[in-house]
Amino acid sequence: MSFISLAFSSDGVRPLSALAEGEHAVVVSVGSDPSAEPAAERLCALGVTHGARVTVLQTFPGIVFLCDQTELVVERALAREIFVRAEVRS
Amino acid sequence: MSCHVIRERASQAAPVLTLRARPLRIALVGQPNVGKSVVFGHLTGRYVTVSNYPGTTVAITKGRALVGAEVCDLIDTPGVNTLDGHVSEDERITRDTIAGPDTDLIVQIADARNLRRALMLTAQLARLGKPMVLVLNMVDEAFARGIVVDAPALSEALDVPVVEMVAVEGRGFSELRDALASASRPDVPAHPDAGARAVWAGALTERVRRMSALSLARIPEALAQATRRPITGIPILVAVLYVLYLFVGVFGAQTLVGVMEKDVFGRAVNPAAVWVVERAVPTAIARDFLIGEYGVVTMGLTYAIAIVLPVVATFFLMFGFLEDSGYIPRLAIFCDRIFRLMGLNGKAVLPMVLGLGCDTMATMTTRILGTPKERLIAILLLALGVPCSAQLATIMGILGGISFTALATLFGVVIAQMLAVGWLAARVISGERSPFVLELPPIRWPRIGNLVTKTRVRVWWYLGEAVPLFLAGTALLFVLDRVGALTLVAAATRPVVTGLLGLPESTAQILVMGFLRRDYGAAGLFHLARSGRLTTVQSVVALTVMTLFVPCIASFFMMVRERGLRTGVAIVAVITPIAIGTGAGLNYVFHFLGVQF
Repeated sequence: MSFISLAFSSDGVRPLSALAEGEHAVVVSVGSDPSAEPAAERLCALGVTHGARVTVLQTFPGIVFLCDQTELVVERALAREIFVRAEVRS
Repeated sequence: MSCHVIRERASQAAPVLTLRARPLRIALVGQPNVGKSVVFGHLTGRYVTVSNYPGTTVAITKGRALVGAEVCDLIDTPGVNTLDGHVSEDERITRDTIAGPDTDLIVQIADARNLRRALMLTAQLARLGKPMVLVLNMVDEAFARGIVVDAPALSEALDVPVVEMVAVEGRGFSELRDALASASRPDVPAHPDAGARAVWAGALTERVRRMSALSLARIPEALAQATRRPITGIPILVAVLYVLYLFVGVFGAQTLVGVMEKDVFGRAVNPAAVWVVERAVPTAIARDFLIGEYGVVTMGLTYAIAIVLPVVATFFLMFGFLEDSGYIPRLAIFCDRIFRLMGLNGKAVLPMVLGLGCDTMATMTTRILGTPKERLIAILLLALGVPCSAQLATIMGILGGISFTALATLFGVVIAQMLAVGWLAARVISGERSPFVLELPPIRWPRIGNLVTKTRVRVWWYLGEAVPLFLAGTALLFVLDRVGALTLVAAATRPVVTGLLGLPESTAQILVMGFLRRDYGAAGLFHLARSGRLTTVQSVVALTVMTLFVPCIASFFMMVRERGLRTGVAIVAVITPIAIGTGAGLNYVFHFLGVQF
């Protein structure tokens, strides 16, 4: 896990769990290994897929974020499986 | 509100409305909490429970609707996020219904704010090759958040009629009826996987949706934030529980019950019944059956109407308010960590809180949980520790009158038992927990109309369900009393009831009746406590045992229906010793320490 996060961080990709409150980002990928497959499917069905724009609203307890117009809450372990690239929005 | 592209379509439309051997079957499909049940209610005139959280509908409801001159079968389905891969049980029900021959035409209901997600589902529905209509519901809320969807352009792109709607206000229904006549198979490219669908849905959304930064929904947004942050959310939760206690426990269980029991039944109904029966019924045994100690009127009806009805009515009203406000799913954020200890995740807060209304219904709602293991644990915990509205009010009514310590002791013990049993179950039961993902519905001011209808429907449901069983239960008690079986029951259970639990003998029959219906037993205890036949310690012990004890027969059958006979029996076999053991332990500890409350 940490290996993957590190490998990604070089090109500005971070897990959603690393974002601070109020930060905006675009989803790059969901799920890093096959065990996360069902969770990735579920997130995908809720709109958390490549290209989705997210905003972190709250980081404790649980991570609350806005994905498009849907307010979602996920546990931290799952937020670590959502890889995003931070972006600045006006 | 207008329906686009209907006019030019009408001439070349596929003849959907023709002579048929059976009525056209139309399924309402969509993501959770987009308003399918509201649309269903409007089209059929049949009320299905409408709330502001995903998972209100977990079973299929069918109804008849008039479209043009034709009677159609309308099907309300549980919300689905996806039709592929791992789906929860409620989603599977929907998938099976719409994919099979039971559905001729699909009406997809979409939340206008969440077009991208809706289109991902549209792409999956399109594969079924059935004619469709797309409804953009809640366009008013979308507009308030600065979102406008170009419906004609969307209709053009998908090649299906698109109808804008505000279902709760009844806007857009005549347009929907018109559009059904020109329903067509959507023109959506085939996508290899979910990722490709998402890209297509995202691109189409960008094309037809205009967004401005303007938001007119500041107050609900501020409330939404306050309810999910611990620093404000926990005080809000405490306040909500306190108001619930004041409204149901004090106003309902004390004020209203007092009026109903003492004044309405004590001074009017029962004396009148006695007067009539004594003159009209010649045989003594029949008189006793109606107005004796176990009289159908003096006991059965009094319990059902005077003690339980005020409590469930106030509870359903308050509960409906919380449901419609969108508050309940937010509790999942705070509960997630605790529930994880019990092999569940925060989402399980929905069935647990619903269990406070009725454990039977809540057992069905466990369908929204991700894995069989989670469902089993949730059903077990519902049966073990979650008191239904009538019990909750009895607890508040009796213990609230004793002391806060008494109330805190009961809830402390019950919660500790649930945690312990949940923790063990999580380790004993095989399978996995699903990761916690939950959609939070927007905070809304509840609509009075829906609140009144929902409460009325639930109270009627309660009366229809409970009153006959209360009467049958009383009749059974009467017969058991006559043939001397009650004495036998009391004798057989004496070692446990009076010995281990230290309760009066008459509690045995209450615990037995509690199995027939939890609230019946609760009402019996209430009556016993009110007439001063229980000490404070006995009250705490009896109520703890009853709360932990086997749920009523209806919820037992529901467990069997949902999980099979073996599981149902196993759950009862686990719960009974826990309930009695806990009661015995409490009785021993209270006496040893000389606790009086």
